[in-house]
Amino acid sequence: MTRRRPSDIDIEAARHVARMDRDDWSDAQERELRDWLARDPRHSGALLRAQAAWMTFDPPRPAQAGQFDTPERRKWPSRRNLLAGGGAAIAASFAGALMLGGGTSYATSVGEIRRVPLADGSIAAINTASTIEVKLDDAARHVRVEQGEAWFQVAKDKQRPFVVAAGRARVRAVGTAFSVRRRAGGADVLVTEGEVEVWADGAEGHRVRLRAGARGFIADDAAIVQQPAAPSAIDRALAWRSGKVDLAGDRLDSAVAEFNRYNQRRLAIADPAIAGERLDGVFRTDDPEGFAQAVRITLGVPVDLSDPAQIRIGSPAR
Amino acid sequence: MNVERWRRRAAWVTEHVIPHERAVRAWLARHASQEDVDDVIQESYSRCAALESVDHIDRPDAYFFSIARNLLVQRLRRARIVPIEAFAEIDAYQDDLRPSPEREAGGRIDYGRMLALIDSLPERRRRIVRMRKIEGLSQREIAERLGVSESIVENEIFRGVQAVQRAWRDGEAEAEARMNDDREQRT
Repeated sequence: MTRRRPSDIDIEAARHVARMDRDDWSDAQERELRDWLARDPRHSGALLRAQAAWMTFDPPRPAQAGQFDTPERRKWPSRRNLLAGGGAAIAASFAGALMLGGGTSYATSVGEIRRVPLADGSIAAINTASTIEVKLDDAARHVRVEQGEAWFQVAKDKQRPFVVAAGRARVRAVGTAFSVRRRAGGADVLVTEGEVEVWADGAEGHRVRLRAGARGFIADDAAIVQQPAAPSAIDRALAWRSGKVDLAGDRLDSAVAEFNRYNQRRLAIADPAIAGERLDGVFRTDDPEGFAQAVRITLGVPVDLSDPAQIRIGSPAR
Repeated sequence: MNVERWRRRAAWVTEHVIPHERAVRAWLARHASQEDVDDVIQESYSRCAALESVDHIDRPDAYFFSIARNLLVQRLRRARIVPIEAFAEIDAYQDDLRPSPEREAGGRIDYGRMLALIDSLPERRRRIVRMRKIEGLSQREIAERLGVSESIVENEIFRGVQAVQRAWRDGEAEAEARMNDDREQRT
């Protein structure tokens, strides 16, 4: 008997995947598949690979920090025929979004980080406690960061500029990647790829170009502050996209503020004298306890975990 | 393994293993024939299918690489065609796929590239794959819409599966993505 070639097995696996992809999977087909799998130990590998390859055509799922076994394949709502007519409706149906004023609004709760594919092929990663509104039409692509922070990987489309608004701040890109964070008094922009143009609404005459690796702050008074940043600093600032807080010599008080963006259980510094201590390390956004323990060991200060509502770091001043 | 659990495992492979397959293949190809590489890869995926759980696996790419490497070593030992020094060399390459930030960044699927791959399919196949994957229609609904039989739809899906299988084996999906990145940086 000649041993079958791996490529022939791949073809059989593809056949099974195409059949499993139908919605009328029967017991007879299940048996047939089981027999095929039992015939050669390589079959299960070929089938798993074919299934996985086929799934790479699925639009990206929202990111779930720190989760490895991915959640159940999403089910389309039965209303999908009513929503049909474009990717926006599809993106909406699986990101749990609401249609508002012609745009689509996406909101995350505290600690939630969500990746949303947009109908134009762009991707938005939305950080904790944030709300963005997306409006795509033939002439332009508009996104408004109402609250919080989002990172965008913009699909190239010269005909339709991609403009993000955050308060008065405006950021325009063609095909590039950047993040916008709305803060009190203005917005922070971090460019990870390509180039963007930033300005303040009402002050269109004063526009500044920011290149990959640059960081800009657009103040509500239309002032634009540019800070060149090391690529590693940008990566660290955007570690939230994989559910992490990345510290490199950051002050304890700013690290605490960062963790408090993501968690209901607050971190509090009980001893102001240690607020300026510098810390390094990579932590999960949803693990303030782990961070507090690391601080306890690093700085040799007590940590009080007894209160479920907050974690106190350091001994209170006597 | 029931179908739903199977799909979950496949989703894990989609996210964490397939994007690294090309790198593992390239490494295997330094020590084995194309046929052996294909066998080892298939067997490595079989091991992934047989795992009770994948929750404990921290670095799926490194895990997959070590499975493939061990299978290759077994195979070479059995064949007794390789001088013993070769194993030392293989061990020395152990660090090749050590996780690094670059590798992590490179291991993400560029969905734009996947869309381009769909668009490169012959017209009817392209339409059917788009309806299935992007519009989320079932094969039956697609058949109704296009006024063709379900077996025609299934057959086009079968060809679509083959196209994406090939793309990941040949690394087209990544290579093209890298080219796009380069272009973007130049403009």
